[in-house]
Amino acid sequence: MRIVTDISMTAALGAFRTQAPRTRARGWVRLVVTALAGFIVPLLALLLWQVSASRDWLPQQILPPPDMVWQSFVDMVKSGELLGHIEISLQRVVEGFALGAVIGLTLGFSIGLSPILDDYLSPLITAFAQVPTLGWVPLLMILLGIDEGLKVAIIAIAAFIPMVINTRAAVRAVPQGLLEVARCFMYTRRQQLLRVVLPASVPTIFTGIRYGLTHAWKALVGVELLASAEGLGYLLVWGRQMFWLDMVLLAMAVIGVLGFAMDYGLARIERRLQRWRIGPLGDPS
Amino acid sequence: MAATLDIKGVEKTFSIDGRAVPALAGVDLKVEPGEFLTVLGASGCGKSTLLRLIAGLDTSYEGSISLDGQRIRGPSLDRGIVFQEPRLFPWLTAARNVALALENAPLAREAKRRAVDEHLALVGLSSFGNAYPHQLSGGMAQRVAIARGLVNRPEILLLDEPFGALDALTRAHLQDELQRIQQDEQITTVLVTHDVEEAVYLGDRVIVMAPRPGRVAHVFDIDLPRPRRRTDDRLVQQRARILETLEEISGESARPLATQPVGPLEARPALA
Repeated sequence: MRIVTDISMTAALGAFRTQAPRTRARGWVRLVVTALAGFIVPLLALLLWQVSASRDWLPQQILPPPDMVWQSFVDMVKSGELLGHIEISLQRVVEGFALGAVIGLTLGFSIGLSPILDDYLSPLITAFAQVPTLGWVPLLMILLGIDEGLKVAIIAIAAFIPMVINTRAAVRAVPQGLLEVARCFMYTRRQQLLRVVLPASVPTIFTGIRYGLTHAWKALVGVELLASAEGLGYLLVWGRQMFWLDMVLLAMAVIGVLGFAMDYGLARIERRLQRWRIGPLGDPS
Repeated sequence: MAATLDIKGVEKTFSIDGRAVPALAGVDLKVEPGEFLTVLGASGCGKSTLLRLIAGLDTSYEGSISLDGQRIRGPSLDRGIVFQEPRLFPWLTAARNVALALENAPLAREAKRRAVDEHLALVGLSSFGNAYPHQLSGGMAQRVAIARGLVNRPEILLLDEPFGALDALTRAHLQDELQRIQQDEQITTVLVTHDVEEAVYLGDRVIVMAPRPGRVAHVFDIDLPRPRRRTDDRLVQQRARILETLEEISGESARPLATQPVGPLEARPALA
C-alpha cells in the first residue's frame, strides 16, 4: 500500500518539475497565435476599405479613404487636440468609475452579507438595473445641469450596476463549508470576512469591476454625444455636424482601442488574482 | 492532551417546514481519554448531527455534552475536525491551509511555522507544502485536512466520514495512517462512518446508531491489539455480527416507513 502511494507521489512530483517549462512554452505560442488571429478580421476590413476607396465604391464624403483618416489622426495628434479630448474623456471615466465603484462595492458587500438589507434593497437595485443608463439623462439634467456633474453621475451609475450585482452574488456564493471551517478555528467575524469571504469572492467581484469599466466607457461616449463641448464623444458629434467623416471614424477607432486597452489591462490583473485557479505553474504571467 | 468526552441525554430536534423532526433522542456516551470511537449507521441516523454538536457548530440541543467536565458551548481549538470533503481554501497552498487553523492559536510565528511543517510531515506531505489544492489528489487533499485538524494539538479529533469520497486503495492507506497517528499521539478520536469495515478496523468501540429518531442501538467492543490486520478472523467475525445488527435495525425502521411519506433514498439501508 505504502509503495503504491509513494510511487504515485514521486510521479506527481516528477510531473511538477517537467510540466512547468512545457506548458510555459505552449502557453507562449498560444498567446502569439491568439493575438495574431485577432488582427486578421480587422486587417481584412481595412483592406476592403482601401479597395473600396481606390475604386470609388462610395463617395469620399461618406467613406473617406484610410490614408485621409490617418492623416487627420496625425494632424490632430500633432496639434495636441486629440490628446486634449482623450484626457477630458479619461478624467470623466476615472471620476465616475471611482464613484460608482465605491458605492457599488460597499453596497454589494453590505447586501451580500446581510439578508435583511438584501430583502430591503435587492428588488430596488434589480429595477434600477433595468433602466438604461442614458434613461437617467433627462432627470439628472434637471437636477445637475449639463456640466461635469451630469457626466460623472451617468458614468457612476453605469459602473455601479454590474459592480453591485456581481459583488452581492460573489459574497453570497462563498461556500458555507469554508465558513464552517473558519468557525471551527474560532475565526472572529472580522477574520471570516478578511480571510474567507474576501479572497473567495475576489474573482467574481473583479469580473464586476471589468464590466463596470466597460459600461462606464460606453456611458461616457453616450453622454458626451448628448451634452458636451469636449471629449471623444463630442468629436463624433462635431465631425458629423461638419460632415468630416474622417474625424468620426478616427474618434470611433480611438474609443475602441482605448476601451480594448483598458479591458485588456484589467483582464491581465484578473488572471493574476486568480492564479490559484490556473495554478502557479500553469501561467507565469 | 487526550480528554474525556461525556454525552448525557442529548436530544436534538430539527424544524422542517414548521414540523418538529427529532434527529437525536436520548444519546448517552462516554469516550475515554485516548480511545478511538467509531460511530456507525445508515444515512439519516443522526451520526453527523451528533458530531456537529460535539464540534460546537450547533449549540441548540437538550442534554449535555462536555469535554473534561467543561460543557461545550461552541467551537474550540481543543477540538479538531475533519469533514468528508477536504474543505481546503483553494487560494492557499497546502502549508497555508494547515496554518489557517493556527490563526487564533496562542503561538509565536516561528512556533506556528514549525507546527505546520511537523504536521505536513506527519501526513507524509512535506514536499507538497507549496502545492495548491487543485494540484493535489483527493487523498492528498484529505491528508492536508487531517493535518489541519491536528495542528492545534487538540484534545479530541472528530472525523465526519473523512474517507467516504476516496477510492478503496487510498481509503485503506489513509485508514492505516490515521490509525498510526492516533496511536502515536494517543488522542481521543471520534470517527463517524457508514462503512462497517472501517468502523471495526479503526475503533476500540463501535457505536451502532438507529434512525428516526437517531439513537444508540448497540455498542460493540473491538478488543483487538494494534496494529490490526484487515484479514484477522476476529475482525471478520465482528464485522459479520455488526452487519447483522445493522440489517435488523434497517428492517425495524423499514416497517413503519411504509406508512410514512419518506423519500426512497432515505429508506434504503445505505450499506456497501
